[in-house]
Formats: sequence, structure tokens, C-alpha cells
Amino acid sequence: MKKILITGLIAGCILFILSYGGLFLGIRFFPGLFVAYDNPLFNSNGSRDMLFYMHAFIISFALSWFWDRFKGLFKGSFLMRGLEFGLVYSIIALLPVMWISFSSLDITVVMVISWFLYGLTQAIIAGLVFAKVNP
Amino acid sequence: MKAKNILWVFLLFPAVTAFMEKPPTRWVVSQNSSLSVNGSTNINTFSCVIPAYDKTDTITIKDKSDKGVTLSGSIDLNVNSFDCHNSGMTKQLQKTLNEKQFPELHIRFLSLSNLPAITRKPEPVTGLVDIEIAGVSKRFEINYQISEDAENVINLLGSRDLNFTDFKLIPPRKLGGMIKTKDQLTVAFHLKMKTI
Repeated sequence: MKKILITGLIAGCILFILSYGGLFLGIRFFPGLFVAYDNPLFNSNGSRDMLFYMHAFIISFALSWFWDRFKGLFKGSFLMRGLEFGLVYSIIALLPVMWISFSSLDITVVMVISWFLYGLTQAIIAGLVFAKVNP
Repeated sequence: MKAKNILWVFLLFPAVTAFMEKPPTRWVVSQNSSLSVNGSTNINTFSCVIPAYDKTDTITIKDKSDKGVTLSGSIDLNVNSFDCHNSGMTKQLQKTLNEKQFPELHIRFLSLSNLPAITRKPEPVTGLVDIEIAGVSKRFEINYQISEDAENVINLLGSRDLNFTDFKLIPPRKLGGMIKTKDQLTVAFHLKMKTI
């Protein structure tokens, strides 16, 4: 349990910096991709900002538990294990969620694809951290 | 005798000056009038318009010469008539302006600094208005341009910078504040009116 929490925390800190740093740079250099977020579908009064910024840790702790439970199934070098872990998470969890989101919400294809790639990148980075810290 | 004359002057003066005031003029706001709200976020700018005024209102003008020009009348605009040329942004503006609770915004015309001779050449003039958005009314001085076209339509163009927070509204922010709408907005209107 302690190992799960520690690796989750390490991955959370790394994902926090990379995810929100990446998002900040994305907004700065590709603002056109983010115009669609000016929509009441997305929280606009700041009341959920804390929850938004906690996401990196929520996903890291969840993936850390998942890694600890199934790490024996991922074989090869740490790079391969991290990549495969990220792909498995994306296919099992992200793809169906993106599918239902696109089919039920008034969001664009670009938005859904960007969320999928964002989640995939997060999971691969977390997988690489787990493969190193908790092999 | 002298005192009696002075008394007559005091009694007659208000009556005489009342007759000297010009009779009020009335302008009918035509349906081609429009209003726009221009603003910006840290990633883009937006321009939301009410392209056509769907009511027929009148503005009454009383030129009191030395006391300036008083106006009475207002225009009442439906918030759900705004079009930001992007459905998401349109819905966002309507939500920000609290359209469900306050479906109309109002501009009440109060005064003009003076009433210049209205010609084809736009003349600058200032005036006071009360703008009511989301149930909060604030008084502003507006810079107008007033002119008349070949069809005797009076064009009154006015614009004013104001803030969401002037009306106790919160400028929207998205993705944990990474996308922020700036507090300042420019409201511009173009009233097309006919004298009746």
C-alpha cells in the first residue's frame, strides 16, 4: 500500500507539472484549439478549480494501484512496459469514455481526440514512472 | 406700485419661459437598430450582436436650452437575441448575463449635453444613460455620434466600455482559470430613428 501511495505521489507530481505545463503552452501557442471551451458545458465560475488541478494526482493514484495489481502482465524493457501500460489504460478506460462523451455531449471531434491523446500521454508517462520506481 | 410690478414679473416669468421651451420631439426607434458587445479572452476576441431590434420604442427629447436636453425612453433587449457567431459562445454569454433570471437588458436614455443640428455629418455629443444588466442598473456617460441620412433616418451611434463586475457578473474562466475572459466589454449600439 505504501509503495502504491509513494509511486502514485511521484507520478502525480510529474504529471501535474507536465500536464498543466503542457496545457498552458498549448493554450499559449495554439489558442484556436481552445476557443470551443468558451461554452457553458465547462465550469466557468472557478468553483471547481481545485478539483481540476487535483486530476493529475487522482489519475496517478488510480493508475498506481492498477500497475501494482497487474504489473506482472507487462513484460520487456521499462520503456515497453510503460508504453504498453499507457495503451492498455487508453483502450480499456479512455476510449469508451470518449465514445460516450462525444455521442452525448455537444463537443467537437478535435476536443475528443485531444482528450484521448492527453490521457494516453499521461498514462504512458505514469507507466514509465511506475516501471522505474515500482518494477 | 413698484412692488406690485415686481410681483407680476415673478408670477409671469415661469409661465412665459414655459411657453418659450421647445415642444418635445419624439424619435421612433426602428427595427434596423442593433447592439453589439465586444470583449476578449486570453485566447480570442468575441463580438456578440443583436442584429435587429424587434420592438418599436420611442425616445422623447425635451430641449431645455440652458438646462441641456432631457431624454425619456428606453430600449429593452432580449438577451437570448445575442448572436456571437459561435453557438457555444452565444450560450456562454447568455449564461454569464444570467438570461434565465433576467431575460432582458435595458438602456434608459436620460440626457444629452446638447442637441446639435442634425445633418449628414456625424456630430459628437455626450449623454447619460442607465444600463441595466442582470437586474443591476448603472449610470454611464456615453459618447454618441448623431447624424441624419438621405431618407431622414436619424442615426445615433453610441459606445461605452464597461465591466462585467460593474453589474456584479463574474467573467467566465475555464480549465482552472487557464482561459479567462477579460472583465472589460465594449457595448456599442446603433439606433436608427425617425422623428414623429
